[in-house]
Amino acid sequence: MICLLSLIVFGILAIFSASYRPLAKEAFDCVFRRMTLRKCQSGLDVKVKSKIVGRLIGKSTKLAKGVHKYFEVISWFFVILFFVSLFFSGQALYNVIVYDNCNGISEGDEVPGYCIITGEGGGDVVDEEIVSCEDPQCADGICEECGTECECGDCSDP
Amino acid sequence: MNVDKIREDFSVLNKGIRYFDSACMSLRPKQVVNKITEYYNEYPACAGRSTHKLGNMVSDEVNSSRRLIKNFIGAKKDSEIIFTKNATEGINLLANSFNGEKVLLTDREHNSNLVPWQKFKQGILRSNEDYSFNLEKFSEGVRNYELVSFVATSNLDGYTLPIKEIVKIAHENNVKVHLDGAQHVPHNEINVKKLDLDYLSFSGHKMLGPSGTGVFYAKEELLKNMKQFIIGGETVINSTYNDFVMEKLPHKFEGGLQNYAGIIGLGAAVKYLSKIGMSDIHDHEIKLRNAVDVSGLKLIGNNSGSIANFNVPGVNYHEVATILDTSDNIMIRSGRHCVHSWYNAQNIEGSARASFYLYNTLDEVQVLNEALNKLKKLM
Repeated sequence: MICLLSLIVFGILAIFSASYRPLAKEAFDCVFRRMTLRKCQSGLDVKVKSKIVGRLIGKSTKLAKGVHKYFEVISWFFVILFFVSLFFSGQALYNVIVYDNCNGISEGDEVPGYCIITGEGGGDVVDEEIVSCEDPQCADGICEECGTECECGDCSDP
Repeated sequence: MNVDKIREDFSVLNKGIRYFDSACMSLRPKQVVNKITEYYNEYPACAGRSTHKLGNMVSDEVNSSRRLIKNFIGAKKDSEIIFTKNATEGINLLANSFNGEKVLLTDREHNSNLVPWQKFKQGILRSNEDYSFNLEKFSEGVRNYELVSFVATSNLDGYTLPIKEIVKIAHENNVKVHLDGAQHVPHNEINVKKLDLDYLSFSGHKMLGPSGTGVFYAKEELLKNMKQFIIGGETVINSTYNDFVMEKLPHKFEGGLQNYAGIIGLGAAVKYLSKIGMSDIHDHEIKLRNAVDVSGLKLIGNNSGSIANFNVPGVNYHEVATILDTSDNIMIRSGRHCVHSWYNAQNIEGSARASFYLYNTLDEVQVLNEALNKLKKLM
């Protein structure tokens, strides 16, 4: 199952670097064979597994043994995690397109959570941006209330 | 034999690697690399054609390499040494030039000494149960063949055939003998004249020489009667639109412009090995192989010479190789080692192989043992 993740990772990397293209191709071949209920022949799964176990074996034999033994289960876990994450990302994207934020319709005065796609919403991060950059009372460095020189945020909290 | 001093000649060993894949490709000492560089820097010209100074220098160096190799394998004449690009090409040369029909092989031939003979009527001599050579069966059946083409030392398990007896029995039955010496010549002393050997092929890249170099040896009288294989430049004295006059030995088999840098480098490699002594190198390799802790490993084949071939139960052979490389910089080979036919016959999927050479140390083998012990704990 690790081939599926490899295909996505190497597929993206292959867009930018030719050196990843053979790996992406290998991963594709592996995924295709698995989808048609055949054994992966490229050995990519073995390579990835043994690279990981090789790194771990020097640090903890027990951990390496666990990864080696349950690698397929761990691979499935990450694949499921990937699809769950893909689902929520898709949902967020849909919300951005339809409602202008990742979290869908806000009810009443509810402040929408932070949205990584638009960079808006959430608590402190949003406030800070509004105060520092969009203080309506400090226009061109002059405070509209008192007429003195000001910096952003000065006039909001006199 | 001072291994520490030898190791100073192999700059790649300073990278903290443990290289146990010499059966595939040996490392090269600086003497070989310098000789190759010398060709490109000092006399990068053609041999045997041009009469200018550089051309003469190349000719001298190539002739010197040929002589060094002749002496190294104990051949009678320089002209019996044909440069090829590897053992495979040498075997193909023989297979394409041999005027016969029936060829006898062993059951553990490298693909290079199996596939070229598949167009002949081929016999396979099975090994004994302990994977040793079945001399009795060989004596009984050899008369039915015109040529025996055997792997002298197997790249599968390091087993060396009883060459002397084989040649003697084959000749008593008027059968010619070809040896695939790709694993034998780099690790053992050989004297083709004393053995009365008819044909021998070996590669340069397994004996400290440059890749793309190899040698085909045959007795002069046999070479004279052999058909040409690759023909064109260098292989003819004269030609008309319809015909040509064949060159003399050894050039009639060396078609086209040769790998002069490689040939000269191979000469340097042979010089290097001769200086250390093949007998000392062989003894050193045996010590290294005997130091491998094989407890808990499933051994493949006979396991002798410079090769330890094994499987770690429960761990895929490719995993073994990659884990050793990743965790301890130990470089071994995994797979079927180009002896697919044997693995198929034995119903074994593949194996991991550690092969040793003169630059390996007992300390390195100790690191291999420790890493293998960790691997055994994975199950």
